[in-house]
Amino acid sequence: MSESERRLPLEGVRVLAQAIVWAGPFATLILADLGAEVIEVESIQHLNPTRTNYRHLPPALLAGRIGTNYVDRDGSEGFWDRQSYFNYGKRGCKSVTLNLRSERGRELFYELVRQADVFIENNAANVAEHLRVDYPTLSSINPRLIMVRFPGFGTVGPYRHFKGYGTIMEAVAGHTAIRGYEDSDPSMTPNSLHGDPNAGANVAFAVQAALYARERTGQGQEIDLSQAEAVLGHLAHAFMDYSMNRRVHGHWGNRHPSMAPHDVYRCAGDDRWVAIAVPSDEAFAALCDAIGRPDLARDPRYATVVERYEHRTDLDAVIEAWTCRRDAREAMAKLQAAGVPAAELTHQEELTDHPQLVEREFFQRITHPAAGTHRYPGPMGRFARNPLTPVRGPAPTLGQHNRDVLCGVLGLSDEEYRALEEEQVIGTAYLETATT
Amino acid sequence: MSGGALEGIVVLDLTQGVAGPYATKYFSDYGAEVIKIEQPGHGDSARRLGPFPGDEPHLERSGMFLHLNTGKRSVALDLRTASGQRILRQLAKQADIVFESFRPGTLARLGLDEATLARLNPRAALVQLSNYGQTGPYRDFEADDFLAYASGGVFRVTGDPERPPIRLGLYAPLFLVGVVAAGLAMGAFFGSRRDGAGERVDISMMEVLASSMDRGGPNLVAYQYSGELTTTRERMGRLSALPNGIYPCADGYVHVSTQTAWWPRLCRTIGRPELADDDYYVSRFTDFEAAPDFDALIYPWFLERTKQEVMVAAQAEGWPASAINSMDDVFRDPHFRAREFFRSIEHPLAGTLELPGPPFRMLGTPAEVRRAPLLGEHTAEVLRSRLGYSAEQIVRLHQGGVI
Repeated sequence: MSESERRLPLEGVRVLAQAIVWAGPFATLILADLGAEVIEVESIQHLNPTRTNYRHLPPALLAGRIGTNYVDRDGSEGFWDRQSYFNYGKRGCKSVTLNLRSERGRELFYELVRQADVFIENNAANVAEHLRVDYPTLSSINPRLIMVRFPGFGTVGPYRHFKGYGTIMEAVAGHTAIRGYEDSDPSMTPNSLHGDPNAGANVAFAVQAALYARERTGQGQEIDLSQAEAVLGHLAHAFMDYSMNRRVHGHWGNRHPSMAPHDVYRCAGDDRWVAIAVPSDEAFAALCDAIGRPDLARDPRYATVVERYEHRTDLDAVIEAWTCRRDAREAMAKLQAAGVPAAELTHQEELTDHPQLVEREFFQRITHPAAGTHRYPGPMGRFARNPLTPVRGPAPTLGQHNRDVLCGVLGLSDEEYRALEEEQVIGTAYLETATT
Repeated sequence: MSGGALEGIVVLDLTQGVAGPYATKYFSDYGAEVIKIEQPGHGDSARRLGPFPGDEPHLERSGMFLHLNTGKRSVALDLRTASGQRILRQLAKQADIVFESFRPGTLARLGLDEATLARLNPRAALVQLSNYGQTGPYRDFEADDFLAYASGGVFRVTGDPERPPIRLGLYAPLFLVGVVAAGLAMGAFFGSRRDGAGERVDISMMEVLASSMDRGGPNLVAYQYSGELTTTRERMGRLSALPNGIYPCADGYVHVSTQTAWWPRLCRTIGRPELADDDYYVSRFTDFEAAPDFDALIYPWFLERTKQEVMVAAQAEGWPASAINSMDDVFRDPHFRAREFFRSIEHPLAGTLELPGPPFRMLGTPAEVRRAPLLGEHTAEVLRSRLGYSAEQIVRLHQGGVI
């Protein structure tokens, strides 16, 4: 099918977004991949935290972890257009800069709202009210508007004004307390941002559910998503054990409540591992055969999952004695062929060359006007009739679509457009005074 | 009917375990009719996942199952029989979305290949969720949450560099895959309906996890951009010298993160506002060797306070801190309680239980969390009302072991 014949599922749906950090980009990624026209509303007065928290990147930070997010660790002017989170999660989106703190900027935003279907935002919980872009205001302009708000703790409740980064919600929701090594102090538990992509994916579903409901009701609605609550649903095992048995879980490590062996095992090479998960006695017997120790399957110490769990330290040592002399991928292939669920621990650096992903052409080459040409993970669903690949385009540079949107959609004249530029309501580079 | 957002959508649910059922739970909680097909006498594998009340296994009392299948209708149907397959095709005729998570190739063997579905119901969307996708050299490999986590590259990020990698919460990857799949299924539904032609979507757990968990996509792009991953097990450290990470307090632990702009807030929180302009500290924000000096300021203050006190005091100043809650803390947390997140559900065999509420609130068309079905609870009703089977036919199918 040629590009022009393809009709993506959400074509014709216009989404305004202030969808930041990692939850926000993951939401816009899915919506834009599905064909929605997503317009990220930014400003030249306020740094978009997905792009940067600093007007000029301090050299020490550029040399550290933050620097890896920028093409060639280049912090020169315009670096905010060359940032990984933004350029991944905003591909196929548009960018307009509107200073919502100015009267004119807000008016123009309201005009956009009149012509939009959806507004999604995950600013801190009170920002929408401060900017007068809260749901009561916007729905009076466009009653069909769907507004999804997804700050860390939602828009109601005593923590609604809390800062809610991923690590914070996960801690409050009880995720941090159950991940970590079985024997280690909680202060050694590394950060995780599981809640961010989860929130983003929830937003993508919520928007579509509300679009469907609107066909029946004729009305838009407000949707309140607490990232913390959305994570809690994932902790069902610990949640239900407390709900049913008042049992509190600590660190689980790599253990599984009804499988043993169930761990990662060192393989030949530096930091190479294979994960093995044995779901049944049959699979255990197959594992014993595959590693040349059929005797273990008859050993009463390993007869059932309960015994294997109890004696897992001994058993793990035997398995590792076999895996540590083998290449991880070869170990995986050998175990899978024998009917033992196993997987090589793939290094992210090698995913672009992974045989499964190469065969499925998962990575997509995208040329970005400021960042250059790179390979990006492709859309997460393979649609047979109207494929989501190739994705419609790269992420926008700051304010790239000001003219398209303001003149094209809102019908501003050239003269009005130039006046906006002069008054710095719009622009394509951050002001020197820009802050977060 | 619940009057939920998705009222009127019919999902034929051929999934089991965690990821697929979590995806279709979104449909049932938000108002669609989800008809769940289960093997007679055996049922969804999640019925054996637990946890169970009193640790006594029972098909109707598995906590995972009761959470994952709220509001669905269970039809017990033996798909290995010709009659079972005929009923499956009849149900497929009435579905807007057919959602399956069999091993690749299985659906066709059950007589519901793509061409058959297109003939029976040209508008139905077909969503196929699998470990590695419907194609490629890995397509027939076994996997579960742990193995998909490995293949998706996520273990590269989680754990201590000196120790073996560790995963996040039990089954967390499967839940994430489920919600992503739910959103893609909605897209497939919209496309199929608009065009009057069914869309087929092939979703690979490995690809979803590589993109999403827990910083997957951006980490892969960072590697393309700079030749280095932003996050690895080796690089779990701080972004600056300012306090970041998990710290002990009087009754447990708290997590804090501090950007340079928040330094004055930290100072105010710990009752040392004068340090906000103290040159010794202000000049060392990006000097990683000064990290212990910053930590020394907060340790004593934390150790005199509970995790809840630290969180509330710091957040009042706009300094992000959070209690590391255990599940008992979560159940009594004032915020979750005020939002009425927990839903009390009556179940005929498991008793009254608190379940997690819906992940987001639709204020115009609220979600409803209803109890999970008993195995085959709705078989007769669905056959009668949806397919027009007579009582006699149903008895015969029952005697034949088909339902």
